[in-house]
Amino acid sequence: MPIVHTQQLTKIYRSGFVKRKEVAALKDVSISVERGEIFGLLGPNGAGKTTFVKILLSIVFPTKGQAEIFGQKLGALEIREKSGYLPENHRYPSFLTGLQTLQLFGQLHGLNGSVLNDKAKSLLELVGLKDWGKVKIKRYSKGMLQRLGLAQALMNDPEILFLDEPTDGVDPVGRKEIRDLLKDLRAKGTTIFLNSHMLSEVEAISDRVAILNKGEVLKIGTVADITSTKLEYEIQLDQIASGQLCEKIRPLVRELKGNEKTLIVAVHDKNDIHTVQDLIRQEGIFVESMSPRKSSLEDYFIQLIQSGEGK
Amino acid sequence: MRSLGMFLFTIREAILRGTLIFYFVVATIVIAFFAFAIRVSPDDGKSLMILGNIIPSTLGKGITINPVEFVLLQFQKSSASFVVFFGIFAVAGLIPAMLEKGTVELFLSKPLSRTSLLLSRSLGATTGVILNMMYFVVGIWLIFGIKVGVWHWGFLLSTLVVALVFFLFFSIVALIGLITRSGGFSIMFSFIIYMLSGLLRYRTTSLYRLWDNTVFHRTLDSIYYAFPQVGEMLDNSALLIGTSPFDQLKSALVDQPSSPYLPFLYSFISATVIYALAIRYFSKEDF
Repeated sequence: MPIVHTQQLTKIYRSGFVKRKEVAALKDVSISVERGEIFGLLGPNGAGKTTFVKILLSIVFPTKGQAEIFGQKLGALEIREKSGYLPENHRYPSFLTGLQTLQLFGQLHGLNGSVLNDKAKSLLELVGLKDWGKVKIKRYSKGMLQRLGLAQALMNDPEILFLDEPTDGVDPVGRKEIRDLLKDLRAKGTTIFLNSHMLSEVEAISDRVAILNKGEVLKIGTVADITSTKLEYEIQLDQIASGQLCEKIRPLVRELKGNEKTLIVAVHDKNDIHTVQDLIRQEGIFVESMSPRKSSLEDYFIQLIQSGEGK
Repeated sequence: MRSLGMFLFTIREAILRGTLIFYFVVATIVIAFFAFAIRVSPDDGKSLMILGNIIPSTLGKGITINPVEFVLLQFQKSSASFVVFFGIFAVAGLIPAMLEKGTVELFLSKPLSRTSLLLSRSLGATTGVILNMMYFVVGIWLIFGIKVGVWHWGFLLSTLVVALVFFLFFSIVALIGLITRSGGFSIMFSFIIYMLSGLLRYRTTSLYRLWDNTVFHRTLDSIYYAFPQVGEMLDNSALLIGTSPFDQLKSALVDQPSSPYLPFLYSFISATVIYALAIRYFSKEDF
């Protein structure tokens, strides 16, 4: 049973009194997130990623559609009891210290006494802010605030963690530490819902991703599925392929590209690649290497978004 | 426990605001002034002296007063208005501060209903002001007790009534703060309503004369009863100390309700409706 399940979730923002203006932030979004996975929600700015998470946490109300988390309808306090959330551009009261900030949000989760203090201190240590606990957060850097935000989202040992651009403003070393922390949390069974436009990061840690653009889900799948280019091979030759060879190959393949000593062929069937190899050999050309092609998530994302823009 | 966390956080935030720190300094100066200025006359051992001058027990035209009660009464009346006036300044920004982008998401994502969140925030803001006021009033009360030997419990009790008045009036501040999400607007509109409420108090002897029309009169009445009656409640809170001879002059200008409790009842109903509107608005709004 999925931990998060949405069905045709739609959000339309309305503004203006005289001239009503409507903006569809989400259009019929149906997504399921399984327990214990890292699910990445990708999309350009304004795609509706933040609105989607805010709806799940009842910060924004949907215009249409349904959603359940832990089998509970949206709005149930139990959802927020078991969830952690790191919003994008979060702001904490600047007069508090790091430790006091965690204590405040721990209290809002019902923690108190020594349990609260111990939890706050251990999380400060976990996110590398152990020595900064008693310093007012107005002195924190952007990266430190991001770490503190992550710690506050973990105060209640959440079953699901919603992170909106968690590595925004964090240096490369810090980003790696956060990635490792998220992997540790997944290993302990925490489900992680990651909103980001940092594609390489999402690719590195997510089990599944959904690509959202202009409020619509364009693609959902595992990272491996999305990044593997189906039946496309790159063939390195020891000499330049002749035009005659290309003409012989073309009827057998879906697509043929290449330059000089490299051929990129997309075949209809796996066995067709053997025929292509045979044709190359018949021309007296030696195949130096052949490998299936894999595109990066970024390549796929850009291609998908651009094709969507062109619609 | 969760609401308590928000409540305590709001008190801390309210106290740390510059305006309340300024208020604390002013209160300390006034307390220090009273500590030095007040004493019992060494001549008769009972007359009250301020800065070396004896406070007379008659005000002319045969009006007799209790000097200690009279001073406490005047002090309470001016400080109560000051508390409401200054309190709005100090904490009106707390509701909009909670709604700032990046902050509101953090609070709303916690397992606390929006009703609890708003009420604990409002109660915390009010308590922040009241704590400062208690410091002021208790300080003065102690000085009168120690230096003059008068431990006036009514004076202390009236503070609790002022606290209630402030909480009731804060309903307007909360509603405006929620709708406008601006501390400045919240302060401005709250003052307009505060002034309007004061003006409407004298409607029967002044505003009614502007237009002798029943609909106009009932409209003024409706506006008057729609908001907490701060002026009346503050005046009536002073009854716990005593009666001022100046009240007789004022009573000629305003409608005197049959019971001093009525303004509290009307204001309680009005504030309940305003808080309910604020909760409904907050519960339906996207952030």
